[in-house]
Amino acid sequence: MASFTLTVNNKKRTFSAEPDTPLLWVLRDILGLTGTKYACGKGICGSCTVIVNGKSVRSCAMAIQYIGKDEVLTIEGLSEGADHPIQKAWIAADVPQCGYCQPGFIMSTFDLLSNNPEPSDEEINQALQGNICRCGTYTRIRKAIQIAITETEN
Amino acid sequence: MKNTLGRRNFIKLTASASGALVVGLHYQSCMPNKQKAENYGFVPLIQIDTDGWVTLIAKNPEIGQGVKTTLPMILAEELGADWEKVRVVQGDFDTSYEEQWAGGSYAVVLNWDLMRTAGARVRHALIAAASQQMEVPASELTTRKGDVVHEKTNRTIPFGELVVSASTITLPEEVDFRPTESYEIVGKICPQVDLEKMVSGTVPYCIDLHLPDMVYATVVKTPVHRGKVQSFDDTQTRSVAGVTNVIELDNSEYGGRLLDANSPNFVNGVAVLANSTWAAFRGAEKLEVVWDNTNSRQEASAGIFKKFHDQLAETSVERQDGNIEEAKKRAVSYVEHVYEVPFLAHVTMEPMNCTVHFRSDICEVWAPTQNPAALEAGLVKLFGLKPEQIKIHLPRIGGGFGRRFYVDYAMDAAILSKKMGKPVKLIWTREEDVKHDWYRPASVQKISAALDENGKVIGWQQILANASRKTSLGRDGGPAGTEIDEYDFPAGFVPNLQFEYGHVLSDVPLGQWRAVGPTATAFAAHSFLNELAVFNKKDHIDYFMEFLGPPRMVPVVGEFKYDTGRLRAVVDKVRQNSGWDTPLQEGQGRGFAAHRQAGSFVAEVVTVEVGGNNQLKIIRVDAVVDCGLVVNPSGAEAQVEGAILEGLCAALYGEITIKDGATVQSNFHDYRWMRLNEIPEMHVEFIKNDLPPRGLGEPPLPPAAPALANAIYAATGKRIRKLPVGSQIQTG
Repeated sequence: MASFTLTVNNKKRTFSAEPDTPLLWVLRDILGLTGTKYACGKGICGSCTVIVNGKSVRSCAMAIQYIGKDEVLTIEGLSEGADHPIQKAWIAADVPQCGYCQPGFIMSTFDLLSNNPEPSDEEINQALQGNICRCGTYTRIRKAIQIAITETEN
Repeated sequence: MKNTLGRRNFIKLTASASGALVVGLHYQSCMPNKQKAENYGFVPLIQIDTDGWVTLIAKNPEIGQGVKTTLPMILAEELGADWEKVRVVQGDFDTSYEEQWAGGSYAVVLNWDLMRTAGARVRHALIAAASQQMEVPASELTTRKGDVVHEKTNRTIPFGELVVSASTITLPEEVDFRPTESYEIVGKICPQVDLEKMVSGTVPYCIDLHLPDMVYATVVKTPVHRGKVQSFDDTQTRSVAGVTNVIELDNSEYGGRLLDANSPNFVNGVAVLANSTWAAFRGAEKLEVVWDNTNSRQEASAGIFKKFHDQLAETSVERQDGNIEEAKKRAVSYVEHVYEVPFLAHVTMEPMNCTVHFRSDICEVWAPTQNPAALEAGLVKLFGLKPEQIKIHLPRIGGGFGRRFYVDYAMDAAILSKKMGKPVKLIWTREEDVKHDWYRPASVQKISAALDENGKVIGWQQILANASRKTSLGRDGGPAGTEIDEYDFPAGFVPNLQFEYGHVLSDVPLGQWRAVGPTATAFAAHSFLNELAVFNKKDHIDYFMEFLGPPRMVPVVGEFKYDTGRLRAVVDKVRQNSGWDTPLQEGQGRGFAAHRQAGSFVAEVVTVEVGGNNQLKIIRVDAVVDCGLVVNPSGAEAQVEGAILEGLCAALYGEITIKDGATVQSNFHDYRWMRLNEIPEMHVEFIKNDLPPRGLGEPPLPPAAPALANAIYAATGKRIRKLPVGSQIQTG
């Protein structure tokens, strides 16, 4: 066990963990932030996407020992009351079915729009093709991203 | 409209200590053909608080199909509640709720009259109470947005002020349903329950549960189906920091491979318990198990399919109309083709998991299950518990698709919790989830048609051979169970029709899947109809309409018949919406298929483009659906889009293969799922009518694969008779 300090959702969190523990399980089992989901454990489905130092990462495939003092943003840190423009767009488009993969899609979208406020369809495809939605909400995800782009412009 | 459930006293009104109006539902006594009503208690359904907030219990498991929103919408509509002041709470499992499961597109079908009747009766009580207070006849009162309204004098009383007096009202035998044209909730876009929580990561799925003193667990199951543990070395496992226990799971100690017909028991293996999920996963990786595979047939996919092909010649007749042999003799031409579909996994995004707290007096379970009754029955069988010692909570579920009809993972967790004497949260890795699924059965089908001089089908013989779900799930031995159903299309449309079934035994675990049977039979039937259209040099939709014949009631089985006018109408509409009769560019093609299931009618047109290097792209999908009245329009459209994408995705990539008795695939890298860049334009339209609402989760799925295969044929001239499309055409 080793001691780590991370800034998660703007709060300093100090905890003990095995150094090889993926960030996903630190968030879920140690810090109680269960909005970030386990689905493949190999970084191939995107359900565990969080933002580390401004970039989206697959938290299931990133050991805590390599993160150090970085800043982590999870779905819980996006807003207080589901009112981040991306979340509002997701609500307006009524995106989720089972909902399990949606935090990952929202965090991938957050990364995309933070770096590229007006992405083309091709850029949206590129940024989101690491995420899987098993229920097939993709059409509405695309619609929600368009709403978020328009809302952010205004 | 009058309510159609004439039985008395299935709703009970009481005032709670806080003054709220609590409505209990006696479900049994309002179900047709149920006699043992006295054994069942009242279960909560509606609560109206003095502040006017209405709490509705969602009784069925929510797997993403929207039932947690849709059933309460029906209740709220008849009640006249304000959807903005409705709180929906998931009900725990209770036998008294009846039909508390998710599957087969039946939730709305089975609950439509019940929810309306319950809502209407409570509305009546509120109106009766208001009638006394306002001193006006009840007939002049109605309810709207949480108030009882007297339109003549423009007076209103909020529900909250009526709850105490309403609880003393004697409910009438019969109440009127609200007229459809006055609906303010049903048929409207209502924000779905849990929406804000789902986009905030705060909705608790089962996998998110945390209990004090909880132990984390995972499992390593026998890779070879029907294998068991011979011995294991856990030295390395126990050296992983955090690992506390290693426990063998042997189903022979608990009744063997099956709990009951249709209820598979847990699969043999070894469980690793730890103080964190990660420690359990790491410990499991380091486990060294020697497996005993003496019970295995050591199957491989090629051998399984060879058996299926061979079995086409040795069958039982499942349906026989007219005389197929005589029709073949009379035929001017004869067409015959063979189709294959593979095993498919479910890969729900939330992997199998379950939390159990097995105490001395009660076994408390939090389970992502579509089938809590099977879970309860399993616990009764494994541990000799009485139903009253079992409490099952039903958190929101990260996908079902039929996988969670089986409760094997919950049995794992219960055994571990009992042995540990502590709450246990069990999480299967994705790899275990893919390797130990209850797969959609693979099958081989041969269809033969006898045609007259005009190309009309006078004889249809369809033979399906496979290892069946039913055998896999409960009846080892003889040719029990069948994967071709006497209701399957085109039963009722051809004078000489024969369905046959060839039964093969296999170790591969098989089970339900979204629209399971028709995913195979409709793929073959609608691909074959396209081949017949091509053979006759006719437009596919023209040929299909001729095949259906004029609008009429077509008898299918016994008393069951349906209106082909509704099927024709969705086909006409999809022809128009998809631009079926307009030319396409070089390399593009359109394919068509239609389907009837769970009382709903669906027609689909898939448009594809096959470019250079044989690169396949699905450009567009048009679907037209007649499911009767659409209760929840946003949810309904989502179900149609989701089912179609699932059908397309499975057709493109879905394939579980078997080698040396074990499943080859293990995760999303080798069991591929569609991603955003592959999604076609989707155009979904619903036929507007006031007919009783029918099922929607499954019916749009089966036509997707044949429509895709027919589109590929139209674009390239290449016929896909074997799924997945995979390497036959370059995909993705």
